[in-house]
Parts: sequence; C-alpha cells; structure tokens
Amino acid sequence: MDLVQEPGDIPSKAAIRSYFDPSEGTLDRRVFADQSLYDLEMKNIYARAWNFMCHESHIPNPGDYFINYIGEDQVIVVRDKQGEVQVLLNTCRHRGNALCRAEQGNAKSFVCSYHGWNYDLNGDLIGVPGLSSYYRKDFDKSQWGLAKAAQVDHFHGFYFATLDSDAPPLHDYLGEVGRIGLGLLVANGPVEAVDGIQKNVIDCNWKIAVDNLFDWYHVQYSHASAGAAGFMDIAAILHPNNQMVMFGEYGHAISGPVIPEEKQAEIDAMTDEERLAAAAAGMLKNPDKPVVPPRLSTARDMLGPTGVRCMGHPNIFPNLWVSTNGTQLSLRLPRGPFATEIWWFTFLPKGLPEEVRKQQIAFNAHLFGPAGMLEQDDGENWSQSTRASRGTVSRKYRHHLAMGLGHDEVLYDERGAVRVETTISEHAQRWLYTYWMNWMSADSWADIKANQPALPKGRV
Amino acid sequence: MAQAKAVHAETTGLDTLAPRQRMELQFEIEQFLYAEAAMIDGREYRAWLDLWTEDCSYWMPIRRTVTLSDIDREFTRRGDMSFYDDNKQSLAMRVAKMESGSSWSEDPPSRTRHIVGNVRITDVKGDEMTVEVAFLLYRSRLNTEESMWVGRRVDRLRRVDGALKLCGREIYLDQTLIRATNMSTLF
Repeated sequence: MDLVQEPGDIPSKAAIRSYFDPSEGTLDRRVFADQSLYDLEMKNIYARAWNFMCHESHIPNPGDYFINYIGEDQVIVVRDKQGEVQVLLNTCRHRGNALCRAEQGNAKSFVCSYHGWNYDLNGDLIGVPGLSSYYRKDFDKSQWGLAKAAQVDHFHGFYFATLDSDAPPLHDYLGEVGRIGLGLLVANGPVEAVDGIQKNVIDCNWKIAVDNLFDWYHVQYSHASAGAAGFMDIAAILHPNNQMVMFGEYGHAISGPVIPEEKQAEIDAMTDEERLAAAAAGMLKNPDKPVVPPRLSTARDMLGPTGVRCMGHPNIFPNLWVSTNGTQLSLRLPRGPFATEIWWFTFLPKGLPEEVRKQQIAFNAHLFGPAGMLEQDDGENWSQSTRASRGTVSRKYRHHLAMGLGHDEVLYDERGAVRVETTISEHAQRWLYTYWMNWMSADSWADIKANQPALPKGRV
Repeated sequence: MAQAKAVHAETTGLDTLAPRQRMELQFEIEQFLYAEAAMIDGREYRAWLDLWTEDCSYWMPIRRTVTLSDIDREFTRRGDMSFYDDNKQSLAMRVAKMESGSSWSEDPPSRTRHIVGNVRITDVKGDEMTVEVAFLLYRSRLNTEESMWVGRRVDRLRRVDGALKLCGREIYLDQTLIRATNMSTLF
C-alpha cells in the first residue's frame, strides 16, 4: 500500500500504523524527520503520558523548585508551603512570559518579570499590580492562577506528572516493568540525588536516542575505543548469551544483560552484610570496572524473581532511561524533530561509605554525559541517522530492526512479568515502535487502552 | 561565591617578586600555555599528556542558570557531579581513546583552536603558581558542526626540574546547557 503523504500534512491513522511493520521489523524513516509527526507526538504522547519531573531530594524544602519539560511545555516543579509538590506551567497567564528563568532554586513566590503578576507556590494568582487603579477592580484573580499538570504523583520519591486527567494512576501506568525499572534505583535502600545534572543537546530525533538505550548490539563497535583505552571491559559487560528483554504496558521495556538463575541463587544465599561488603569491595577494587552489585534481600520482594536478575536498561515510555548500574536516570527531551536534550541525573543510596560514594560519582562522570568515555561516541551516530532521514530517496529505505524476530519464546513469571531470555536482539526496539504507533493513532486515553497491543505470548 | 573570591585572590607570593622577575615569569607562563594549546590543536595528545604531573587534577563542574539569590549554587562543588573529574590515569585514558583507531567521535578528527588570553598569575607559592586565563575553544567537525566553548580556567603550574608542568586545571564554562553533540576535545 502506497500511503502518499505530503510534507506538513497530518498523517492519517492508517499511515501512522504503517510506519513500523512488526511482522517484518522495518521502520519508516519519516518517524525521525517529519515536523507534522513531531507535532502529533507532542499532543498524543507527551501531553498524555506520565513524564518524569525530578526526585523528592531535588526539592526538599518549601519554595524549592526545579524546571523540567512535558514535551514543549516548560513546567515548574515546586514544593509549596504545605509541603505538596506542584507542577505548574511556567507561563504567566497575562502575556505568557516565563515566570522562572533559572533551572532550579528557591522562591517565596513566582513574580513575572514583565508586569509583576505574582503567583503563590501553589499557582494561585496573589498579586496584580494596578488591580484597583488600572483594572478598576474589574478582574477576578481567582480565575487566573497558573495552569497545572492534571495529575502529580511519585514512586519511591521519583515525581512524575501528566497533563491528561484521563491518564491512569502512576502505579498502573508504570506497570510491572516500569516499577521494576525505577525499583532498580532503590533496590539497595532509599536514595538521594547527587547535585548536578549533566545537560547537552544533540541534533538528533529523540526516538533514536531512546531506542539506542535498548541496543546492546552497538556497544561492541560504537564503544570499542572505551574498551581499548582500558576504561571498561566492553566484552565483559555485554553478556551476549545472557540477555533479557522485558515487555511492559504502554511501551515500557527493559533490554540487556540478565543475571543467570544459578548466579542469582548464589546471591540469594548471601546475607545482606555479605552483599554490602561485596558491593563496596567491587567498587573499590575496580573503580572503573564496576559490576552491578548484589542487590539486598528486600530487592526480591520489590522487583520480583525476574526483575531482581535484571542488569539491562529500562525505558519508561516515552523517554526515561534507568542506567544499568542503577544510579542514574537519563531524560531524552524532544526539541523539535531534529534536536534532543540529554539530561543525566545521578542518585546514590543514603549513608553510602564516603570512599564508595566518591568512586561511584567519579565513575558516573566518566561514563555518560557529553564528555563520557561511552557517550562521546553515541551522538554523531544519532545525528547522522537523523540527518539521513531527510533525504528524499534515503527516506524511502526503511530501517531494519528485525534482529531475532521470530526466534524467541515468551516466558511469564509468577507476578506476570513478560520476558524473553536470549542473545542480543532488537525485541525491545520493536516493542517501542509498535506502541509508538498505538499512542500516535489514538484519540484519547480510552483509545490508547482499548487498542493497546496485547502482551506477547508464544514466539516473538 | 567561590568564583568571586578566586578572582580577587590575594597575590602575596607574587608581591615578593621584583618587577623584572614578575615580567619574566609572566612571559614564561604565557609561552608555556600557548605551546600547550598548540599541542592539543596539533593533535599531539601524547606530548600534551606529558605536560601533566602524576598527581594532577582536571575538573569541570556543572554550571547552572540560577537567580542572583541562589548564585552560590551556580557551580557544582568538588565531590558532586561534573563534566570532567579526571586524574592522570583518566586523562591518559582519554588520550588512549583518541589513539585507539576506533574513537569515532574524533574520526574524522575535529579541528580545534584554543585561544588563551587574559593570563593573570594570581599566586606563587614555592614551586607552584596559580594562573587564571580566559579561553575560547572553537571546534569544527565534519562540514557543518560547529561548537564554541568560552570560559575561565584556573590552572596550577609546578616547576619540576626547572621545567613547568601542569598539576591542576579547573574549567568554568560560560554556558550551562552544553550546546554540542559531545565534548570529545580537550580543554
């Protein structure tokens, strides 16, 4: 079927559903290059999804605020005077100016620099210069408070917001896979943010930055120089014969290495004291070659029998990556079809021994971020793939994402977590784009739920 | 306000130098820093690495857009997250990466130009000198990629067997969000 689409046209639902072919594993390149699709992503994905905002430790005190984005909508995440976390759209109701122009800080209220409208930390409009003299009191402040996210909630202190009141509760949105993903960060106890978020902008489409986190195929080639330089043993982190992909609702997935069941049984036999000692010793012995430290015994209850073995990369749809060693989160924030901001957050368990904390922070600084030994080499792959999606003829050639298609048997664990255990594959990328089509062709949350692809069974 | 304090640092050690000695030291340090910049721009990374002492530190904190009332939080501190928190070993890894033949972010290689200016010796203590400079690092990649980083550097130099070596570098960028695909170049 030839679905002709002129640039700028809003693609039809039938066209959107043709962009990824799950049975062939091929992807239409226009998903990386069309402004009309990007605009639809803002509306149909970002404005509906639960988006990561920040961690409770970023804003511990009343008045503490943190600026983030929901698609192209900039938001202020702020702890109000009652201690509640509010997510307010960072745009004055008068003429639209940004109220907050800093990235983070503490404020008593938000005063617009244009005409001085003043908003309380909960978004209420509390001051309008000239209310009596210029407005002649003919203005109802109570109707002009800041616009707010429809729902705000947190999971283990990680705050999320959605602009859609019909979105399911956060807990249900995350589902088993999303809860495992965030659970990996807190499996060894409560965490707090390390100060400093690395931010840079790459001229690539946001989805290629997202799907790359599932991609353990590129590691051995793209990141060969990090291995050659002695930063990390690339072959040792790959575990090509112990890979797992977990499939979650709404497009969440986890892809990457898995702890073999027999190895997990050895960990299960250890006391928590032994596990903590092993984790600390591993980090101090090989500060630049950490393995995922043994998780504590409580982690099994939290993560389940499959999640506790996970060493791969979860993505919480649409754009939140939990890093393998479980101490970092990365947002891939869309900035038009051809630009993506990459933000790296770091979290560490409270009360970590000072030397271990120091080594982990130094390792994280060397790993990802624009100067990271690994991530330096990612950006140009993505930007050049994006650029090539604009070519009139180039874009007619679909991407091949068929690795492992039809070769793996789906397994369910006792908690209903769905997975395949396999070698390196592109199952998670296929899952992502299959769900992307569902989000993009839905008219509402009811539609997303009604048409969502069933969790896989049998052979995938 | 770490930055403001450093800018107005006492230059007690420097005051003990006679004007002529001070001029000679200024000249020597400037020539050293220009030669160092030329090494990076000339892709002589191994020679550049040899300029650093074994106990060196190379650090670029994260800078943030904050209001004046939060200005003490503008930069992350030592021990927090950073863009670079390197020692001699990790600098050597960065050089080894570029020499590996598979460092795709630098193959084809970037074309860089380090402009170093406003060189001020702010302290002299024994064999060590603290020098503040303003820098401009221009990078051109492929045919269309351009990046520019401007900022302030606090370099610590040490005289070892008569020759100057670098033992510390703090890099304070003037941009917050890094407007570049990566930072695969040396500052």
